[in-house]
Amino acid sequence: MKIILYLKKNFSTTLDNFNKGEFSFSEGTIEQDLNLLVRALNASISGIILTDNRQPDNPIIYCNSAFEKISGYKRRDIIGHNCRFLQKDDRNQRQRLQLREAIEKGISCVVEIRNYKKDGTLFWNELYMSPIKDEKGNVNYFIGVQNDITRRKKAELELRSNNELMERRIEERTQSLKESEDYLASIVQTVRESLIVLDKDFRVLSVNEHFLKVFKVNKEETEGKMLYDLGNRQWDIPLLRELLENILPTNNPVEEFEVEHDFPHIGKKLMLLNAHRIELEGQFKDRILLAIEDITDRREIERRKDDFLSIASHELKTPLTTIKGYVQMMQRIIPKDAEEKFRSLLNKTSVYIERLNHLIAELLDVSKIQTGNIELHKEVFDFDKMVHETVEHIQSATKTHQIVVKGSATNSFSGDESNIIQVVNNLLSNAIKYSPDEKEVVVYLSKVSDYLKLSVTDFGMGISMENQKRIFERFYRVGEIQQQFPGMGIGLYVCEQVIKNHGGSLWVESEPGKGSTFSFTLPLNERVGNAE
Amino acid sequence: MKGWVMLNKTILVCDDDEGILDMLEIVLEDAGYHVIVVSNSLKIYEAIDKQKPDLVLLDLWMPVLSGDQVLRTLRKNPETDKLPVIIISASREGKHIADEAGANGFIAKPFDLDQLVNDVQKLAS
Ligand SMILES: Cc1cc2nc3c(=O)[nH]c(=O)nc-3n(C[C@H](O)[C@H](O)[C@H](O)COP(=O)(O)O)c2cc1C
Repeated sequence: MKIILYLKKNFSTTLDNFNKGEFSFSEGTIEQDLNLLVRALNASISGIILTDNRQPDNPIIYCNSAFEKISGYKRRDIIGHNCRFLQKDDRNQRQRLQLREAIEKGISCVVEIRNYKKDGTLFWNELYMSPIKDEKGNVNYFIGVQNDITRRKKAELELRSNNELMERRIEERTQSLKESEDYLASIVQTVRESLIVLDKDFRVLSVNEHFLKVFKVNKEETEGKMLYDLGNRQWDIPLLRELLENILPTNNPVEEFEVEHDFPHIGKKLMLLNAHRIELEGQFKDRILLAIEDITDRREIERRKDDFLSIASHELKTPLTTIKGYVQMMQRIIPKDAEEKFRSLLNKTSVYIERLNHLIAELLDVSKIQTGNIELHKEVFDFDKMVHETVEHIQSATKTHQIVVKGSATNSFSGDESNIIQVVNNLLSNAIKYSPDEKEVVVYLSKVSDYLKLSVTDFGMGISMENQKRIFERFYRVGEIQQQFPGMGIGLYVCEQVIKNHGGSLWVESEPGKGSTFSFTLPLNERVGNAE
Repeated sequence: MKGWVMLNKTILVCDDDEGILDMLEIVLEDAGYHVIVVSNSLKIYEAIDKQKPDLVLLDLWMPVLSGDQVLRTLRKNPETDKLPVIIISASREGKHIADEAGANGFIAKPFDLDQLVNDVQKLAS
């Protein structure tokens, strides 16, 4: 606790100097000093973030490693967001209003607020927030220093509760743990997934029945051996080794790691690996559970399904092309004195041809995305220009709304332009569609740290907290939501996947009745995106 | 009438789908071009040799000999290496395949007639 306080104090004096304009670097060594400063920030055990108060909704432009650790989010899901995402749907907190007031007034404040990690776990966040002003007194930035004080809070709470009750509870728990251990053991043996338990040196402690069956091996040649020595050293892959060796020190699990290999006895297979650190209180800790699933057949079926859909969509598009051609031809040669009805029927026909075309394309996209086969054709393009053009295109077909573009992001971005156009298109048409009584949609472009950010804001009906999660699901369009958001379809799901594939993140913030803002960030520097 | 006055250009269209061929023939003739259609990509070289088209519209996915294969062969031959070729395809990866094979243009199916005629006009002049 002392260290934290000390750090915090130090920080505020630094900031004060900042405010007074006294904070400066020696000319020649600016870069070194900056490096040092960044290293110092990353060594801090408090989360530290900076937000840009000059941009709409105070997006985060810097976070240190401790902030990632405390929150459980990766940098790419942090930069560009407003920090309220830590509150998830626990929005009725007095502290939130305190923060809001402090931000409005441009003053500092300290609050203890309930926040949630990415995996949903609650943590008590002791947040120190302070403005950074320029010479003229404008608040350009805010700095936030976060400390996870859950333990302290918990201790406080627990102290309050009855001691005796606690003891009894603990007893009960130990009892039930013992029972659940037997229970678990039986599950482990029957589950249809290969499981290996490793000690901290990657020696195999035990394997389940399914493992022996799948790899056609026996217990003797497996248990007690080093993981990397098994079979024909199939698990001795540098990247896998690195990931596995990181589990215990960092508590980062290995997820969905694919190994394609010619295994002894069973031949060429595709295996999916997941590994977690496991711990049973009082019994052991620092063990690793490795789960292996044979996905050879599944992948093959998925591939065939993709091929099938590819061919089907191609085949469907061919006659559609012919129909579209003829309809357009008819629209051209329509006699001047033709009945209005005739004209309108032709126009309607072409609208539905477009719709069908769209559906066919989406079908293929979703199938590919699901199986992770979406191909990115990366090229450098002018992002801002692309956005302006896309907006113009939609604007030319929209009479009801004015689309306003503000700010700028970058004129050189490396990514799949046609995929990203699709995303921008989708966000814009949703914004128009779901604000039928409004006249304006705002597109805001900016740079936040090494990400570009695009937001599309409408002032329409908005989306409730609950539905905000669901609209990104693949086939959410069932029942009630379908009635509320018809035609949003699989579009958002596809959008999110496209942005994720580029190493960015897509999210929504909305208040029912006031409107919604859909935003995405994309890494400007390729390394950032790929470092997943 | 208008075609005869305005242009005197020949367009060769190669697609394995008769429906598309038929439609493109009507559309391009209406725009004033002389149109030759070939439904079997194996016969395309002979047709080019005989008819000396000013531009070729080539489908990508065709049985036996695909559009990009045809295009690569055309590009290797000094007689046809400069012949303007537009690839048309219903698959989105088509554009990259077309670019790599040396196409002068790419049009995704289903296309817009105005856009098609526009692109053809640009390249067949
Ligand atoms: C620099 C800074 C850091 C912040 N850190 C947090 C935080 O760690 N946790 C949190 O719940 N809110 C944090 N906030 C507050 C939210 O971003 C937001 O301002 C607050 O929820 C009030 O606004 P709202 O009512 O529009 O959500 C921070 C704000 C700033 C400016």
